[in-house]
Amino acid sequence: MSPDLAPPIKMKYFVRLSLSVFIGGLLMFSGCSRESKPGAQKAVIGISFETLETEFWAAGLEALQQELRNRDIESVVSIADGDASRQLQHIRVFVSRGVDGIIMVPKDLHTSLPAIKTANAAGIPVVLFNRPAATHDDAHAVKVVADNRRLTQETVSYLIERAIDRGGKHLAMVVVGDLGDSNAVARRDGFYDAVTKHPEVISVVSEVPSEWTQEKARSGVTNALQANPEINFIFSSSDFLFPSIVAALRAADRYHPIGHPQHVILGGFDGDATAYKMLREGYLDATGVQDVYFEASQAVQAVLDMKAGKQVADEILDPGFVIHQDNLAEMAPRMWGAQVGP
Amino acid sequence: MVLEGFNRSWLGSNWSQHVLFGLTVLLSVGAAWGIPGFATTWNGQTLLIHGLPLVLLAVGLTLVLISGGIDLSITSVMALASVLGAKIMVDAGGGVPAVMLGLAAMIGVGVLVGAINGISVAVFRMPSFIATLTLMMLVSGAAILFTRSQKIAGLPDTFITTGQQLWLTGSLVLVLAFLVHLGLKKSIYGRWLYLVGLNRRAAEISGVPVKPVIVGVYIASGILAACGGVLLTASLETGDPVMGQNILLDVVGAAVLGGASLQGGKGSVWGAVCGVGFLVILGNCLVLMNVHYYYVTIVKGGVILAAAVLDTQRSTRA
Repeated sequence: MSPDLAPPIKMKYFVRLSLSVFIGGLLMFSGCSRESKPGAQKAVIGISFETLETEFWAAGLEALQQELRNRDIESVVSIADGDASRQLQHIRVFVSRGVDGIIMVPKDLHTSLPAIKTANAAGIPVVLFNRPAATHDDAHAVKVVADNRRLTQETVSYLIERAIDRGGKHLAMVVVGDLGDSNAVARRDGFYDAVTKHPEVISVVSEVPSEWTQEKARSGVTNALQANPEINFIFSSSDFLFPSIVAALRAADRYHPIGHPQHVILGGFDGDATAYKMLREGYLDATGVQDVYFEASQAVQAVLDMKAGKQVADEILDPGFVIHQDNLAEMAPRMWGAQVGP
Repeated sequence: MVLEGFNRSWLGSNWSQHVLFGLTVLLSVGAAWGIPGFATTWNGQTLLIHGLPLVLLAVGLTLVLISGGIDLSITSVMALASVLGAKIMVDAGGGVPAVMLGLAAMIGVGVLVGAINGISVAVFRMPSFIATLTLMMLVSGAAILFTRSQKIAGLPDTFITTGQQLWLTGSLVLVLAFLVHLGLKKSIYGRWLYLVGLNRRAAEISGVPVKPVIVGVYIASGILAACGGVLLTASLETGDPVMGQNILLDVVGAAVLGGASLQGGKGSVWGAVCGVGFLVILGNCLVLMNVHYYYVTIVKGGVILAAAVLDTQRSTRA
């Protein structure tokens, strides 16, 4: 063997050793897994989330797991990483594990239907957490969802009151989500429900499609601010897009606190930690808060009731609430973003 | 000396496929023994439903990798094929002719995008990374624009029920993979392809029709990606403009795990199949074991990283 080949050979042994350790570890792990299962009498609920990419979903998962722990119920969790096919695979895995119920955040309205049908066919009750699926004769699932449209309308109405207080005509921008997601559609509709009642105060000059991505939100808001520098009223369909929106506002020198003459009236939806921080610092006027703890509790109760053969309503609505500068101290303890933030 | 000889054979052209196949079998046996619910017909079907489209994509990508390029547009081809085919099937009334027309359009998307990729790389000598990345953006944008981000539901029952017959889709994938394997191993085109991947300049001097070979390989990749889109569309019963957005890394990982070299000139259909098999079974085991999502991602990333390191080592020695 020539000396110059020595380093690669060493590296090769290292990689081979790593692979061996990995496989060995996996096999040991799987052996342990088997030993922990026999005789388990606890109910097991499968939780399938489409993504964990935002604070809301992370808080939702934690709330569901805490609720299950409180009731001494075991949970198995899978995250589909934004892929509907992977989510279908995970639901099939839950079926093969014989779970007692499934709580699911579907990828979107339609691609989740085969997964729901699969669980239904196996006699496993399904509850959809915070995001509905399309209705279908062969796919039955109970939905626990926020009243997105009404809560958005209430939030935007509050923002309009602030615009009326300030006086003058306001040029508005709405940042919408992925319109394949019914929550995004409902929030967009709720926004228009509110603003169309006040054409003398609000004129919508820009609708920015974010597809629930920070990059598209930032570029869209930046472009809209360049095209319409007079925009002074922005509603974001989700609080998680605020970092992008704030960055675009800062770049345009338009990010000022409430009370500043050039303050852009800002509103959002979700109630995350960023929104709470912006509320405390006086930059955010209001946000519609989804009561994630209420939704988690209702989802777990619904899946247990379905398993027990009880009648459960097809849709359980989380009324949520609007948090703003005037009720911040009072409502913050119920805001999930105030509990999970730094 | 014995160890050195073993090392040399272990590092031979097909070693990674054999090792990967062995690891896949080992993993499967271990999982069947240790993980409840793994060794069942139901779970076997689960693995096939998830794995078959990935096999098509990985085989197509392996062809491109052998040629010394990479095709990042395969998932966007799937998405555009999915929505275009779904739209045609729904709008044309949903009968058998509508389904056939939709399927033809889906394959047509693969041919068209593949041809553009191939011409960009072979004729205009664009780096494949840039050419296919650009087309990925363009095709993804077209799929979203075409549907305004809406999914297309209400697909014909004929399409859904046929597309969900695992024996049929499995046979289709098997036949396609076998045809590609034959083309690679038994035809002059296959030899040309390896030669182009190893040294394009030398291939040109040797009289290999390099440009048609490269264009052909991207068209093949596009067709296989479109076929993957057909399977996923039937499986999800929906035309989806963002279909497969997050599976590109799995596909690249499977191809590299299967022995395809990012430097070109190496790879095989059997390796790609083994790569997909290993990753799909590994993912399935981790979910069955209720391993936390973050660890699942780390483990899969680690395996792909190890494969890439091995690829680099082999290239260093070559």
